[in-house]
Amino acid sequence: MIPRQFLITVTVLFALTIAMSVYVWQLRRREIRSPQVTEKNEHVAPPTLGPMEQVTVYVAYDSPGELRAQSISIPLAAGRQQRAEGLLRGLMTIYNAKDSTHPVAGGAEIREVFLLDPGLVVIDVNSAFVEGQVSGVLAEELTIASLVQTLAANMPELTRVKILVDGKEQETLAGHADLKGFYDVQQIAEVVKQLSTQ
Amino acid sequence: MRSNSVGRNRFPRYQLAASAGFLVIALSLIGGQSSPLSAVPQGQTQSKAATAAPQAGQQSPNQPSSSQAAPPAQPAATPPKPLVMIDPAHGGTESGAVMNPTLLEKDVTLALARRLRIDLGTRGFVAELIRDSDVNLSTDDRAAMANAAHPALYVCLHATSEPDGIGIYTAMLAENGATNGPFIDWNTAQFSFLPQSRTAQQEIAAAMQKSGMPVRSLTAPLRPLSNVTSPAIAVELAPAKADVSQVSAGDFQQNVSTALANGIAQFLSNSGAMR
Repeated sequence: MIPRQFLITVTVLFALTIAMSVYVWQLRRREIRSPQVTEKNEHVAPPTLGPMEQVTVYVAYDSPGELRAQSISIPLAAGRQQRAEGLLRGLMTIYNAKDSTHPVAGGAEIREVFLLDPGLVVIDVNSAFVEGQVSGVLAEELTIASLVQTLAANMPELTRVKILVDGKEQETLAGHADLKGFYDVQQIAEVVKQLSTQ
Repeated sequence: MRSNSVGRNRFPRYQLAASAGFLVIALSLIGGQSSPLSAVPQGQTQSKAATAAPQAGQQSPNQPSSSQAAPPAQPAATPPKPLVMIDPAHGGTESGAVMNPTLLEKDVTLALARRLRIDLGTRGFVAELIRDSDVNLSTDDRAAMANAAHPALYVCLHATSEPDGIGIYTAMLAENGATNGPFIDWNTAQFSFLPQSRTAQQEIAAAMQKSGMPVRSLTAPLRPLSNVTSPAIAVELAPAKADVSQVSAGDFQQNVSTALANGIAQFLSNSGAMR
């Protein structure tokens, strides 16, 4: 003979199991019907941190392989580090445009810019930046000269620049340009002259 | 007794002279048939001569051999020929630029390097390749190989799909990248050779312009240029128009190789490497 309390308990548990199954099934249906949130693979627009300023950026032109100074208006913060990040993100906005003269991959961006001492800047780019880079001595040199000279033109105290990829040192940008060392701003200025007058 | 003994001594001497005469004739005949072997660059090892192999400018079988025209060559008479070290960039799993799915930079550079080796050989230079097959080599390995060979010029070959003209590069080094006593900093080893590298760059650019090719002379942050302890340049082959396949076309590569070889020959003769 099965005790009465045991039967009641089993019945209640069975009813709860059925009810919860129905509830989960309904949740799943609702989830399937709701619109999917897709991952955006676009460059993040620079945040508005300060007043609009007129700055000079150096834009690469893949054809005919030149670097040209260009004036743009972007919002810039007062802090030196945020200012440096703002400058490079402003440059990336130009490269992410549809009619870019030096296109970069979707999702390519500047992760962070570190000021280690008054003269040294470390630029940390993401892996999409490197994966979308056109491989070639000149193409890679244009990218590096563009980044370094844009900072140097707006930060007179800058002497050296180091480039990291996802926070780590990498041997080359895309098989050619050396990323193991530091870039001397004066040397890059010489390269910019060569790339501007050719 | 005396006359007999003299007679016995004279006969073997005659036999010996006759044998030697036949040997000389036989050797000279063999030497005449295999004249390319006699063109091994003096002062270079046999293996170096082998890498400089199909040298069309060397003595043809129709010409009289040097062993027939003159007495046996004296080893120290001619100075060693200048060595040009050619480095086809990339290789193995590191393919370099992928210009299209079937056109990889590593293959383009190797094909151009082989042409350049032949063209330099015809101009009387010894040319060696850092790699003559599809193998992985780090930039440090390449620099170490070049430095061990002490070449008169190191030429690194690259290729791109961007139609920006052929680029000729020297190392981008800081002006204070000097040596520290007897030690040379690996990262700035090229520093003391930069003036010669720039001269080579100018001579080669002029030769290529003379051949009607668009050329750019720049400095670049490119390894292993900065680690090489001899005059060193890099050449980036580029299509004249947007047609990428041009960089692998035989006639285009041959024109570039000929112009490069002319420029290199000009630099080496002006720099005194030929003396």
